[in-house]
Amino acid sequence: MTATRQTSGLGFVGQRVMRVEDERLLIGDGHFVADGDPTAVLHAAFLRSPFAHADVVSIDVSAARALDGVVRVFTAAELNARTNLFPPFLMTNGLYAPLFGCLSERRVRHVGDPVALVVATSRAIAEDALELIDVDYEELDAVGSIKAALLGNAPKVWERAKGNVLGDFTDEFGDVAAAFDAADHTIEATLTCPRQTNQPMETRGIVVTVDPDDGHLDVRSTTQAPHFLKWALAALLIDKPTLRSVGDFVRNKERRSAFGAAAKEFVAANRHRLTEQDPRGLLSQVRADRSTLPLMNRIGAGLLAAADYPTVRAGDIGGGFGSKGPVSREEIAIGAAASIMGQSIQWIEDRVENLLDGGQAREEQFRVRVAVDSDGTLRALDVDAIIDQGAYPGFPIPPSVTAKFWKVYMPGPYDFGAFRLRARTVATNKGKVVPYRGPWANETWMRERVIDIVAAELELDPGDVRAKNVLRPESMPPAMITGPTLDETMSAAKTLDHALAMIDRDELVQQKSTAEARGHRLGVGIACYHEAAPGPANFWSSIEPGSDLLLYEDGRAELAADGTIRMYTSQSPHGQSHQTTYKQVAADEFGVSMDDVEIVWGNTDRTQFTLLGTGGSRGGPLGAGVMRVTARNVRDKVAEVAADMLEANVSDIEIVAGNIHVAGVPAKGMTYRDVAAKLAADDGITSGPVLTDQVRYEGVGNGGWSVATHVAWVDIDLETGEVTIPRYVVVEDCGPIINPGVVDGQVRGGVAQGIGAVFYEKHHYDEHATLMTTTYMDYLIPTAMEIPEIEVVHLETLTDGENDARGVGEGGMIGAPAALTNAVSDALGVQVTEQHLPPYRLLELAGIIGPD
Amino acid sequence: MKFPPFTYHRPRSIEEALDLLAEHGDDAKVLAGGQSLLPVMALRLGRPEHIVDIGSIVELATIDVDDDRLRVGAMVRHAEAEGSPRVAERAPLLRAALPHVGHRAIRSRGTVVGSIAHADAAAELPAVCLATNAEIELRSATQSRTINAADFFDGHFTTVAHSDELVTSVRFGTPGTHHAVIEQSRRHGDYAMVGVACQLTIADAIVTSAALAFFGVSSTAVRVAEAEAALIGTDAGPEAIASMRAAVTDVLEPDGDIHATAAYRRHVAGVVAARSIHAALHNEEAAA
Ligand SMILES: Cc1cc2nc3c(=O)[nH]c(=O)nc-3n(C[C@H](O)[C@H](O)[C@H](O)COP(=O)(O)OP(=O)(O)OC[C@H]3O[C@@H](n4cnc5c(N)ncnc54)[C@H](O)[C@@H]3O)c2cc1C
Repeated sequence: MTATRQTSGLGFVGQRVMRVEDERLLIGDGHFVADGDPTAVLHAAFLRSPFAHADVVSIDVSAARALDGVVRVFTAAELNARTNLFPPFLMTNGLYAPLFGCLSERRVRHVGDPVALVVATSRAIAEDALELIDVDYEELDAVGSIKAALLGNAPKVWERAKGNVLGDFTDEFGDVAAAFDAADHTIEATLTCPRQTNQPMETRGIVVTVDPDDGHLDVRSTTQAPHFLKWALAALLIDKPTLRSVGDFVRNKERRSAFGAAAKEFVAANRHRLTEQDPRGLLSQVRADRSTLPLMNRIGAGLLAAADYPTVRAGDIGGGFGSKGPVSREEIAIGAAASIMGQSIQWIEDRVENLLDGGQAREEQFRVRVAVDSDGTLRALDVDAIIDQGAYPGFPIPPSVTAKFWKVYMPGPYDFGAFRLRARTVATNKGKVVPYRGPWANETWMRERVIDIVAAELELDPGDVRAKNVLRPESMPPAMITGPTLDETMSAAKTLDHALAMIDRDELVQQKSTAEARGHRLGVGIACYHEAAPGPANFWSSIEPGSDLLLYEDGRAELAADGTIRMYTSQSPHGQSHQTTYKQVAADEFGVSMDDVEIVWGNTDRTQFTLLGTGGSRGGPLGAGVMRVTARNVRDKVAEVAADMLEANVSDIEIVAGNIHVAGVPAKGMTYRDVAAKLAADDGITSGPVLTDQVRYEGVGNGGWSVATHVAWVDIDLETGEVTIPRYVVVEDCGPIINPGVVDGQVRGGVAQGIGAVFYEKHHYDEHATLMTTTYMDYLIPTAMEIPEIEVVHLETLTDGENDARGVGEGGMIGAPAALTNAVSDALGVQVTEQHLPPYRLLELAGIIGPD
Repeated sequence: MKFPPFTYHRPRSIEEALDLLAEHGDDAKVLAGGQSLLPVMALRLGRPEHIVDIGSIVELATIDVDDDRLRVGAMVRHAEAEGSPRVAERAPLLRAALPHVGHRAIRSRGTVVGSIAHADAAAELPAVCLATNAEIELRSATQSRTINAADFFDGHFTTVAHSDELVTSVRFGTPGTHHAVIEQSRRHGDYAMVGVACQLTIADAIVTSAALAFFGVSSTAVRVAEAEAALIGTDAGPEAIASMRAAVTDVLEPDGDIHATAAYRRHVAGVVAARSIHAALHNEEAAA
């Protein structure tokens, strides 16, 4: 096997190249959604429920309508009449997926639930008008916690569901009962993780501009998935009745045959995968809620016949961490309002709204049993897990999908012989849950915490227990017991061994006694995991049959008539450095400098369709992969043309620093501009592409696994509960690195959010489901002052694959909570069973203070 | 998060400001640095109809010494006071407190007097006022009065000042020989969960006077006389500190909230008190 860095040309790939995004962003030259001309649009504000659960008895908007500067006030009834309900997107047999409109008409289900929309000449006036809307609410008992949701007499969040448990699935791999019978010990624990919220620096926002002539919607949005937003708008904004939609479609021959051809092609390409699909999901949903079927008909008809799909454009985006992937109710409401009014509208979410309902995550609990032998051999894992989804599921990815990830991931990189997971998803009267950087991450937290609990009970070293059970290259089974194929070249064991060697055990004893002498306690904690980034195809089909269909990325490279090299990506960057890394990859293939490459993203008129956009650790492996392949293809075409022009053999053509020449004769070279000019002249064109290459890239290297081990040192002041992190180490392997600086940044950012989760951030609802943390005075995000130096060790397994870069954006956040809570447990000599540990809780755990 | 409508006034003199306050009374609010008032308005938790911005009143932006006491005018920013040698010399406890007030950017706009007038129970400067027996100087269109700090703070965000009164300045009391402000906050720059301003006078190694004013533990800053008494007449050694600490945890009855339980606050009040004595003694040594 030839292991290479997969670089050619000038060798930008693998280098710590400075981010090309930064200068522009730092001097204020970015173009974010709120940066347009505020006088060119109307401004929107939503009236939101102050109650967690209430019936809306009446609503009176007359005073708001009369306010100077108010252009229009929509009640829920008016706007919902012009939009479709949000359909259940991912349907699973036995899961109740609630249907809901963009505004809430008769019932509100969480604090912040939108009930009306004001459109005015300024946001301030719109907010003034909100105060003039008179809503008569009849308050209902609210469900404020998982525990409350499960009570027999609990109020129902969704009337049509059987109860608040919307889904209840059990999966078993191997013989769990037999493994527990055979094992020396059974160790049990209950672990809980409180609610967090993805807090991007920029809140959500959307500006919908309406073409005065044809009504075409031009949408600027903070979306991570522009194409999905476009489709959602087309599907949910009703512009005609269902029957007429179908009629229009049938009459439109061109669209009909285009649709037919696309469907045929899709079925042919995916026949084997489609047969794995489980149609019972759809059927059970229709059985559970009969309003689904006509809704699906309407949406289907609307999509087929929509005369005109909106254009969606995402410019610079100030982070998302998953929260800007789902299409929100507000976006549909603003789209509908703009198209009804025929006027352009802007909605920029404020921080209070964002904390109320911009996207929340990770409120989960686990009852765990582990079968283990006295020597620390892990036999089986049996988990009963509950997810608090809040009221409205995110669209398209409902929180219940997390359970599907768990069912595949949970045994992690360890050799558990058997595994069972029961996972319930419950509804509560809280804000919506969305994917948050490593959405399944609590499985790692749970498992790594439990391994330390096992080690403590058996009086073994936690590092030794991991080392004993981790899947090692030499004895690695071909697949996890839960399905996905493993890759012995990417083993978490390698990172674990390296990390354990970095812990100097003698020094640690010394550090602990020094800390004790100062009235402090010091501990060290380890977390080890593997991550499908994006993983092999059967990782995805194990999660949900057919979802491996999405394991591709389209992309395009183009040489324009003026010699410009343009790379089109369907990714929607929002802080991951795509422009930098894609320029590195393309520049190497073309043999030009990074400045010579332009990256085009975010505009649905210019980039190819993808349901996903940025998310799921695909930007490095699939996104950069398609950049590499298409760039190489265009470069090869250029070489052919140049060979012709230079009357040489194409195999003798070299391209160095933009100079296209016969090897050894650089003085007689030409440029991309020369080749483009020649082709343009031949074609008789002066603008547009002269060469294009478009590819659907499906390669995910050797299975697309990323692996890492984190080690945290935590120091706790026993008088105040104040925590410092004297050292934090991440040993990671994400395959061949495109830019180590970018990888460091992604790892460190993720670890910072993990530090936030454990020591600072908790989205706090009281027992009545009232949100207490509605500003940054209360929802505490760690600042640079709270984040220590984070050492990152790259093991960088080199392979001979086409593009073996792996995703690395989510891992930091996956490993950190486990390493930190394990370190706290070690420091205090107490087995911690909750993820959030503010100072008062640390002192309670240490026995210094009692609970209130 | 946009302000509700209001009328904006920018008087050029104290008299003009007082006239405006007399005219609009309860419907008006003084705007100093805006670091507390503006967030409250943006969240629409407060909706004054008239804003009287005192930022252009030059005579309020002075630090002077009056009758041996340091006087800080209403438009003196935290940052200016922090860098002032006069403050360091005449009001070392205020100097010690200022670095704990928010972040640099907030101290560049926020004012010392604004913080005192605002009377946040978790703020440092009201505690400094209590510990130094400061005097709050108030004026309305019709009268002037001076109120002792001990009588000024009425509850969380409330003082005895009337709505037509401007706090023109605060006169800080005479310093002791040893000073420290110690607090425990969630993050760097946050309001304290618990904190203490400590001023001691030590003569011939014996504590002759002690002031311990706690913040974040009650609806206003509070002094704990029992704890002070435990120090006076002692050498501020380990025994005295232990009985002082016991008095603190005995007397204080803080509330819990999402950041800290009542038990935590009570416990840590004792911790910061003990640490403040050590720090005060140590600071003096460092200065000597
Ligand atoms: C992120 C952040 C963190 C902060 N952290 C801290 C902290 O740790 N500790 C702390 O103490 N403070 C903190 N603050 C508040 C800061 O100290 C403010 O400067 C202070 O509370 C108020 O001063 P101001 O000049 O900004 O007053 P303003 O906001 O202008 O006014 C506050 C209130 O006082 C009234 N007022 C102001 N001046 C007068 C006057 N002369 N006469 C009568 N009434 C008056 C106003 O009418 C208003 O009601 C923080 C603020 C922020 C934004």
